Amino acid sequence: MAKELLKGKKGIIFGALDENSIAWKTALQAHAEGAEIVLTNAPVALRMGKINELAEKIGAKVIPADATSNEDLEKLITESMEILGGKLDFILHSIGMSPNVRKGKDYGDLNHDWMHKTLDISAMSFHRLLQTAEKLDAMKEWGSILALSYIAAQRTFPDYSDMANAKALLESIARSYGYRFAKKSKVRVNTISQSPTMTTAGTGVTGFDVFFDYADKMSPLGNASGESCADYIIMMFSDYTRMVTMQNLMHDGGFSSSGITEEIVEELTKGK
Amino acid sequence: MSEIAQKVTNIIVDKLGVEESEVKPEASFTNDLGADSLDTVELIMEFEKEFDIQIPDDQAEQIATVGQAISYLEANAK
Repeated sequence: MAKELLKGKKGIIFGALDENSIAWKTALQAHAEGAEIVLTNAPVALRMGKINELAEKIGAKVIPADATSNEDLEKLITESMEILGGKLDFILHSIGMSPNVRKGKDYGDLNHDWMHKTLDISAMSFHRLLQTAEKLDAMKEWGSILALSYIAAQRTFPDYSDMANAKALLESIARSYGYRFAKKSKVRVNTISQSPTMTTAGTGVTGFDVFFDYADKMSPLGNASGESCADYIIMMFSDYTRMVTMQNLMHDGGFSSSGITEEIVEELTKGK
Repeated sequence: MSEIAQKVTNIIVDKLGVEESEVKPEASFTNDLGADSLDTVELIMEFEKEFDIQIPDDQAEQIATVGQAISYLEANAK
């Protein structure tokens, strides 16, 4: 459905591990809508995934960057501007990782070195990115910067563990930096709070299947897919959303406003 | 334990957060030491850094246990 919504726009997409990644789907769509893109991910994720396949498909360069390193981010943004031939219109931050979640640590028994890593990789990296982009004066006026969040930032989902704390910080950084970037160069900064999605990162959470089914039943429209999230991201990168900033945008099929649904009632009535 | 075996053990203990006593030669990274897909790639990259070598992907895929890692590195480390 290429409509050239992003014609002539240039940007960086973080976190395309494989074809299930929201970042991967976004890169394909952005390309179809006329954008020029640089792809990036952590070196270990580049090796684990198949980003080169995507890069080939859309004719994009891949620049490895550890999002917890200011130096790497500086290099990434500088090189991206050289490759794309100018300032950036959009950036997608689609990265997150918690060693505590991966290792199934109980929330009352967290390894705090790991918790630092969770916060650093999943949230502080967004601040680093924003700060580096500002310092390098890398964003065009009315540019759009997005990060992906999850509703566990605001309501408790026990198995989401310290990732919930990281997402809360991520959303807070979007508000704080959104103010600054709007004042400075009319750049907008938002987070999208997406339904649980079957990605490598998502399925790393214990009991993800149940999580996914529950959210699906609790959402009048059902879970928002990765593809529909990519659609939303494209719109947020487009010129049609210029006045939207400092928001956490719910993209969840109605989950966050639903108290109970018929499907849940039916489920709970079974066997009674 | 050889110097290489000790270094490999230290990396595994550090990366996977397991006890040294669990790091036996026959232990499988994924089945016995709780490594996920990201851990296995991280381990390979740590070995490469520590021993200053490149492990091609097709050979990395053959390294599934502690013993296999140690023998590969003993044969290939500089």
